Amino acid sequence: MKYLSVLLMLSMSLMGASPEVEQYMKELLSAAKAENKSFTGFDAARGKEIFISTHIGKQGKPMSCTTCHTVNLGNSGKNSLTGKVIEPLSPRVNPQRLTRVKEVKKWLKRNFVDVYAREGTAQEKGDVLTYIQKN
Amino acid sequence: MKKIWNISLAVALFVGGVYVYADEDEREHARPMQSKPLSKQDQSAAALYKKECSACHMAYQPEFLPKRSWDKTMKGLDNHFGTDATMDLADTSTVQNYLMTYASKNERITDMKGAVALRISQTPHFVREHREVTKKMITQPAVKSIANCNACHTKAEAGSYREREINIPNHGRWE
Repeated sequence: MKYLSVLLMLSMSLMGASPEVEQYMKELLSAAKAENKSFTGFDAARGKEIFISTHIGKQGKPMSCTTCHTVNLGNSGKNSLTGKVIEPLSPRVNPQRLTRVKEVKKWLKRNFVDVYAREGTAQEKGDVLTYIQKN
Repeated sequence: MKKIWNISLAVALFVGGVYVYADEDEREHARPMQSKPLSKQDQSAAALYKKECSACHMAYQPEFLPKRSWDKTMKGLDNHFGTDATMDLADTSTVQNYLMTYASKNERITDMKGAVALRISQTPHFVREHREVTKKMITQPAVKSIANCNACHTKAEAGSYREREINIPNHGRWE
């Protein structure tokens, strides 16, 4: 049983997302298609642009995802307001990442609002998750 | 296994209640530790509170603010000191109930003469206790903000604020 769960964890980390998160990404995919007829699939390069580009955030100040998470997803980040350390986003380095849909939805909502002053579209969420998954 | 350990640790931290000491005269200011063990439901609420709030900052003990303050905080999570700190409805309600149960009932610590404090650092007891702390001690990078209790109160996360446990970065103990 123990070996089985180790194997499961290993295969999960190779996929970069748990089955429930994979399922969530499929839902995002259908939603993105419904939003945009010419949409063909999620793209890590677009996701990276979403992640590293600077925007006027909720506080009216320039901000990007990298303000707290840094440009290297394998590194720890730091909450820019409180200084609290943020564990790496990369599922390769931090196997806890992209395992729970509840967590993923919560943080995508919060962080899009903080950085973009609005929620992300299905395509944007899928793109940025694809970027995180591959890094 | 790690998860179970985290939860039991969180529970252990909250079961104890809060120890606040003003001076070395402990009898005057100490508040009694909660002797009643938490119910199963409160234990899981405490663990959720700890997990959710400490994702960004120390999970301040509920005993530092009155009900009215926590109520206002929980109703304004979409703009929580400038950030979106929303949770799903079920978790919001669990955390809200937990805070209401363990909020301070001691007006001497929290009375704001009609105003509702959102920051613990605005409450009169807190202000009095930190009156001799210099700006430099607070703004230095190792502390960053008065909200980082555990930067100086080495056992803050366990709910203990005894004077002898203070260690201010680049300054030392509180004499």
